[in-house]
Amino acid sequence: MAKILFNHVYKRYGKYKEVAVNDFNLQVEDGEFLVFVGPSGCGKSTTLRMLAGLEDISGGEIYIGDTVVNDFSPKDRDISMVFQNYALYPNLSVYENIAFGLRLRKLPKHEIDLSVKRAARVLEIENFLERKPRELSGGQRQRVALGRAIVRKPQAFLYDEPLSNLDARLRVQMRSEIISLHKKMGVTSIYVTHDQVEAMTMGDRVVVMNKGVILQVDTPERLYNRPNNIFVANFIGNPPMNFIPGKLQEGSGGLEFHTNRFALLLTKQHAGQLRKQNLIDKTVILGIRPEHISFEENEIGGNPQSLISGVLEFGEFVGSDRYYHLKIGMESLLIARAHPKYHFNDGMKVTAAIDMEKALFYHKETENLLTD
Amino acid sequence: MKVDMRLQGKRLVYRFEDWLAAVRRIDRTQIVIIIGLTLLSAFMLLPLVYLFNHAFKPLHELLLFPPTFIVNEPTMQNFTDLMALTQTTFIPVSRYIFNSVIVTVLATAGMVFTGSLCAYPLSKHKFPGGNWFFGAIMVSLLFATEVISIPRYVVVQSLGIMNTYLGHVLPMIALPVGVFLLKQFMDQVPNELLEAAKIDGASEVKIFLRIVLPLVTPAMATITIIAFQTAWGNAETSTLFMQDDAMKTLPFYMGTLTSNLANSVARQGAAAAGALIMFLPSLIIFLIYQRKFIATMAHSGIK
Ligand SMILES: Nc1ncnc2c1ncn2[C@@H]1O[C@H](COP(=O)(O)OP(=O)(O)OP(=O)(O)O)[C@@H](O)[C@H]1O
Ligand SMILES: [Mg+2]
Repeated sequence: MAKILFNHVYKRYGKYKEVAVNDFNLQVEDGEFLVFVGPSGCGKSTTLRMLAGLEDISGGEIYIGDTVVNDFSPKDRDISMVFQNYALYPNLSVYENIAFGLRLRKLPKHEIDLSVKRAARVLEIENFLERKPRELSGGQRQRVALGRAIVRKPQAFLYDEPLSNLDARLRVQMRSEIISLHKKMGVTSIYVTHDQVEAMTMGDRVVVMNKGVILQVDTPERLYNRPNNIFVANFIGNPPMNFIPGKLQEGSGGLEFHTNRFALLLTKQHAGQLRKQNLIDKTVILGIRPEHISFEENEIGGNPQSLISGVLEFGEFVGSDRYYHLKIGMESLLIARAHPKYHFNDGMKVTAAIDMEKALFYHKETENLLTD
Repeated sequence: MKVDMRLQGKRLVYRFEDWLAAVRRIDRTQIVIIIGLTLLSAFMLLPLVYLFNHAFKPLHELLLFPPTFIVNEPTMQNFTDLMALTQTTFIPVSRYIFNSVIVTVLATAGMVFTGSLCAYPLSKHKFPGGNWFFGAIMVSLLFATEVISIPRYVVVQSLGIMNTYLGHVLPMIALPVGVFLLKQFMDQVPNELLEAAKIDGASEVKIFLRIVLPLVTPAMATITIIAFQTAWGNAETSTLFMQDDAMKTLPFYMGTLTSNLANSVARQGAAAAGALIMFLPSLIIFLIYQRKFIATMAHSGIK
């Protein structure tokens, strides 16, 4: 078990030295479960593979513990990795697949046997030990791949989208199994996924990446409530955050957010912060999550300067909630979450209340967060 | 032990039931195809039947016209003739057989060994000029043996390995077909497997021996057969590089049996026996490895 440190790590591929990972700085704490998330091609796998020793590092250093491992071969880094397509050795039985790494390390036979059996018991694959990987289902194969990773008790576990070949239900189940495994073993883990739900539910901290750059490293709560920039805000959460461009103008009651159609009164705190940054009469982007828009009578009555009226385009019922897509005269529809007891018909005129305490303001050009 | 036996028995029963189920699933078109293929394979078998029977025919049956397929009065006479024949020359036929066995074993092992060692880096390691290298190997497939026999002669002579087993083996050891076939198979082995093995702590040698080779056994079996046939049937190295009769091999001798000598009619029997001796090892090797032909397993662990 060890800390892992990325110090200004770069990866450039190919003839044209395209940058796949750009100035990657990160410290992974001992025993932490860290998740890399981002859209396809953002460099998650590349970063993980550099840590594993499967790709050369073009610049910077990677530390495992206190050692720079840049020039170490994979086997000397004492890590184990779970691959998306399991990568089980098809010619070996499940038992031998799990024992492979131990045999290569020349452990005594009885010790290997003990370790393999123990891992198999933890993962509930004891009954398949004599089978070949092709005789297993996808979920069972993934368990074997996990077994192969955990028998060795390495410094760190690396997972590269290990669950994306499984069906939705099994994915949820394996998710919690991996987490409870992590709780039991406490080994530093880095988990790559492009699924934000997976990232949010599993990670102690989550690293959001785009185009080879880290955009934000934070706990799932902070990532959701206080995304540093529009990309993160848009990427995390489903349905995504609403973004409304508008101008900041001083009004009679305080600082107001103006669009062509409506004006919203900012909280004192936000107003102060934005004034300090000389953003009066400038265009900013307001971000608001669907659950911070409501149709509750008392809220609507509360503050007339937090109301938006619109026409209901359509509603989506998802069981515990209902999502309403409203036309408010903007390019994109405003998505609001409501309790399913509210039932509006398509085409109805409705008034929604914005919880301005929860609103976030982003810079139009840099797309970075302007308020706390 | 007892439990094991019962388990084995059970497995056999299951297997039989599986087979029965498969038979029950056969539909009408399949029946037509099966009958057609059976007839065709019976037809393909005819030369083999002929070869076997021919070797045991007495001389008068051998020269019969029209020739018969099945032997009437089987005899071992041809084989004793073959043995006796060579006692009149200096070298007994057993010496040729011995040479052939040695050369074939060495050359086959050599071809498979170098072929796989050559294919692995070409397939799984990117290195400068790798494609060019592979191209060169492919081009060498295009040359007829006659074209390269003179340069070969020069090389063998300058190496000073005329009249040695090495002189037989070395010219045969590069098998471009084998490299090609193995590389194609190794290309199919997913890189993740090799990466997983690397992380598990395997060296290149271990990866090659324990992961890659087992996954390309069908290709290995195929090139073993090809290599065996190339080596076992090869008379060229005997003709060109072996002046010493004691170093020549069986295929060379078989060639001289009927062509060179004046009294070729009398040698028909010996030649028939020799043909069978030449053929049998190929058949055996094929039967051993043909199961592997069918088994393809490279993909099965990967979804
Ligand atoms: N071997 C390679 N040669 C050249 N470019 C590569 C190579 N591997 C990856 N890249 C490029 O590096 C970038 C990052 O790729 P990477 O595989 O790390 O993405 P990813 O975040 O894992 O995406 P995904 O979610 O689809 O797996 C991509 O633009 C990709 O095209
Ligand atoms: Mg990836």
